[in-house]
Amino acid sequence: MESVYLFTSGSLRRKANTICIETESGKKYIPVENVMDIKVFGEVDLNKRFLEFLTQKRIPLHFFNREGYYVGTFYPREYLNSGFLILKQAEHCIDKKKRLFLAKRIVSGSIQSMIGFLKKRKVTDDSLREYKEKTEKAEDISELMGIEGNAREEYYSKLDELVFDEEFRIGKRTRRPPKNFANTLISFGNSLLYTTILSLIYQTHLDPRIGYLHETNFRRFTLNLDISELFKPVIVDRLFLNLVNTKQINEKHFDEVSEGLMLNDQGKSLFIKNYEQVLRETVFHKKLNRNVSLRSLIKMELYKLEKHLLGEKLYEPLL
Amino acid sequence: MYIIMVYDVNEKRVAKILKTARKYLKWVQNSVLEGELSPGKYEKLKLEIERLIDKKEDSVRFYVMDSRKVFELEALGLEKSDNGFIL
Repeated sequence: MESVYLFTSGSLRRKANTICIETESGKKYIPVENVMDIKVFGEVDLNKRFLEFLTQKRIPLHFFNREGYYVGTFYPREYLNSGFLILKQAEHCIDKKKRLFLAKRIVSGSIQSMIGFLKKRKVTDDSLREYKEKTEKAEDISELMGIEGNAREEYYSKLDELVFDEEFRIGKRTRRPPKNFANTLISFGNSLLYTTILSLIYQTHLDPRIGYLHETNFRRFTLNLDISELFKPVIVDRLFLNLVNTKQINEKHFDEVSEGLMLNDQGKSLFIKNYEQVLRETVFHKKLNRNVSLRSLIKMELYKLEKHLLGEKLYEPLL
Repeated sequence: MYIIMVYDVNEKRVAKILKTARKYLKWVQNSVLEGELSPGKYEKLKLEIERLIDKKEDSVRFYVMDSRKVFELEALGLEKSDNGFIL
């Protein structure tokens, strides 16, 4: 299954039982049976008939604005309805102890993934290990969030040591809008990852509105934010490092916006091309004794969470 | 699996075959489509095509490969469609 990225402007239609994008330069057909989700960056027209078709084919539609920020998702009607699992998901959120348990696992898994990332590049960091131990003793979510924040700051400073070109170092993390090249790349990568995970959650029984580390509220999907913490280093940060150190991405790929920077279309599609490649990459899975792609690794993480919620097996991140 | 589909059918059915195949694969040139498919989806595609064709007249061939990596594509002349999922 593939993700479709749309930069061109035109209209999205259902035609001959498949997806058709009509632009000035002609019609293009997209094989609907092989589409996992559609991410729209350009200006498209669409109608209700098309949305109905996406619902029927179970394809979420994600929108991004001109700056590359996530705008929202057309999340088709749930097709894997499980009232039981939703109750369990809510139970683990309301019960402070159960929620803290899951949040701790997510944070320690995320720090572990940072450590692993640095270790692979021969950078050792004892303070990250200390942060990881601290998570075990954390008494509430806000303390945990604090540890996570500090660990990430520490991690980004170590990551900076691996960037050859000073111009492309992260320095301080800035958002909305990101103020330098590195921050822009990482923000863009993170928002791609959020939507990819959201699309994968759609294929499970989980409800993306109930998260454990991130506060469940009235506004947004949060479970995908939780899971993304585990995968940011292996997907987004690795991509960032590769693109910058091989000089594939440079100043030309950025546009200035008020008080910050954004990727232009050329930069975005270069990033996406590599992002898709990373998701398709396989790693050897010891327990399964075979190679699995990173995309399926994310999905397996979701299934592990499901199992935990159903009380079958305690959740262990990234094993 | 990576599939290359080639067809040579009576003119009456060309449009039908194309429409069906386009749901699963990317069109690359007249009568040729290709793309990554899961084994299940491939079976579905074959079934749909089989229902459309006249077995005495038409011929449809599928080249099935483990992945895109096992073959190299060399193309000359005009590229009829840009294949990719970034549009």
